Amino acid sequence: MEVLFFATIRNLTGEKELRVARAATVRTVRALLELLATRYGERFRRKVLDENGDPSPELIVLVNGHHIAHLDGGDTPLAETDRISLFPVIGGG
Amino acid sequence: MFGWIGNVLRVNLTDGTFRREDLKEDAARDYLGARGLGTRYFIDETDPAMDPLSPENKLLFVTGPLTGTLATSAGRFNVVTKSPLTGAIAASNSGGYWGPELKFAGWDMIILEGKAPKPVYLFLYNDRVELRNASALWGKNTHETTDLLLAETDPEAKVACIGPAGENGVLLANIINDKHRAPGRGGVGAVMGSKNLKAVVVRGTKGVRVADREAFLDAVKRARAKLAAHPVTSGGLPLYGTNVLVNILNQSGALPTRNFQTGIFDGADRTGGETQRDTRLHRNKGCFGCTIGCGRVSFAEAPFTGEGEGPEYESTWSFGADCGVDDIDAIAKANYLCNELGMDTISLGSTIACAMELYEKGHVDRETVGYDLHFGNAAAMVALVEEAASGKGFGGLLGQGSWRLAKHFGHPELSMSVKKQEMPAYDPRSIQGIGLNYATSNRGGCHVRGYLISPEILGVPEKLDPQSVAEKPAWAKIFQDLTAAVDSAGLCLFTTFGIGGEEIAAQLAAATGEPYTAESILKAGERIWNMERLFNLNAGLSGEDDTLPPRLLETPMPEGPHKGSVSRVPEMLPRYYQARGWDDEGIPTPEKLRELGLA
Repeated sequence: MEVLFFATIRNLTGEKELRVARAATVRTVRALLELLATRYGERFRRKVLDENGDPSPELIVLVNGHHIAHLDGGDTPLAETDRISLFPVIGGG
Repeated sequence: MFGWIGNVLRVNLTDGTFRREDLKEDAARDYLGARGLGTRYFIDETDPAMDPLSPENKLLFVTGPLTGTLATSAGRFNVVTKSPLTGAIAASNSGGYWGPELKFAGWDMIILEGKAPKPVYLFLYNDRVELRNASALWGKNTHETTDLLLAETDPEAKVACIGPAGENGVLLANIINDKHRAPGRGGVGAVMGSKNLKAVVVRGTKGVRVADREAFLDAVKRARAKLAAHPVTSGGLPLYGTNVLVNILNQSGALPTRNFQTGIFDGADRTGGETQRDTRLHRNKGCFGCTIGCGRVSFAEAPFTGEGEGPEYESTWSFGADCGVDDIDAIAKANYLCNELGMDTISLGSTIACAMELYEKGHVDRETVGYDLHFGNAAAMVALVEEAASGKGFGGLLGQGSWRLAKHFGHPELSMSVKKQEMPAYDPRSIQGIGLNYATSNRGGCHVRGYLISPEILGVPEKLDPQSVAEKPAWAKIFQDLTAAVDSAGLCLFTTFGIGGEEIAAQLAAATGEPYTAESILKAGERIWNMERLFNLNAGLSGEDDTLPPRLLETPMPEGPHKGSVSRVPEMLPRYYQARGWDDEGIPTPEKLRELGLA
């Protein structure tokens, strides 16, 4: 799957995107965020996961362009061809 | 009065006379200021059927009761007039420092009437008022004009002026204040030009009194603490500016691309806020009293070398994805030129995109255009910005906006506009609520009358599914009413990412001494919305104008997360009318008008 990082999330990862092979442990958004937190460290973890290990309310996760709030939240299942986009809460206009 | 100064300046440009009037206190209480109070004055004094470019039209510069105070991001003012682009009410909002300076000079509002026999500018130094000869400034761009006027008047003065576009009757012309800020939409600059008024220069050395200093400071501190704690107003906006939206709208399949033919642009990231910050940013900048600081002081590199402020998200989109251009320098250059020549970036970018589609479909040829105007031709796009300001030739057609351009070539359906004003940077097929807001906006295609992108895409203050429609009519009404109140108070709309009606009402109440509550300012917003609606109906618009271009209603989104979707405005509109207390044709009922004190 393809994971894209934007705004301050990109600053924490130091890269724009990452290809993740869908290992047996990366079946959901929550599992993906946990995997990414292992790779990118504690600051990243604090930004993307809350104290319960759920996606942080200050994080926007899109799976194929759809906000996980309108899918199954952290339990949203992931497939090999999925594109996951991570944003901090942002605004503008 | 407190908050309000209590002074209105009325200037007759035809005979060069002016007088001071007391501000109408009852009207100020009910309509707050800026957009609301200015529109109240405007409607009471004008015939809605008038020609917007005739001397009968009036041009009002209006501040709010919080403008120029310590309240959260309170640097705003509105320009109110009848729009020559839409024929509807135009209340065009701007930040910077000009609005507060007008308050410091001792004025809430300037009403400009008639037409000067020759080019003039208005100079205010506190209560000193002068109409001065501007013949030497005619033809100068907004930056040259500002520099010359500061040298001629007072280096600490603030300048709002038009560029060549406003002088040349370009319907997309705006007014530029503080060189880089604009009451941008609706062609207010064309109205100013039609009056032979080049600029309004203001210098003030007074202050704004508030009713209860202690309560006011307490309310301001509490509101500012919320802005400082909110990730949007303390993180995303100051770091990346409004341009931070490019990527999320693109990933959401809602970034209108190549004149709204699709919602995904491959070059989006090359134009977005992250790239701008990494490669083209000098620093960020705030308007008067602002703790957010979303402004961009930026530069562009060769071959489109330039410096200035912006581009904001909407401008990046209009000259970027919508024109199929992914060259960040060309986009910035087009934006800088618009500021210097005095034109609305949203409308002009969208109009050039419309021209590109007309060209690609063979409805206009190269000989007429003068360029190979395929989508993505950045050089042609930048050249056409300059030509549009001239009011001549093909550029002159562009300056009349996309609806008139597309109609001229026999294809009005290719204009991506509502009520003849171009829509901004969100595709209503992918985001249903914003489509309803576009369709019902009192000033035509506009995102800042009810910014439903906030809940539908950004998840603030709640997360609404962008494809759901059941709850959107009620949300549109609340957002539109609250926005009307925020605009009229003199606050920046961006504060509403972090604060709500309670914090706004608390600041208003302490500043003015009037017992405003979250509920009462929402009611004021509803009153303002209905008042604007009545003007539009009397000007000849109707419920039939509450719609979107046929492409968005009939042609499914071709790709991306919302592939297959069309806008469901026709389904939402009756329920929106119902939520508003309007009849089936979109006319406010007598009961609603009585409830709002508008009968």
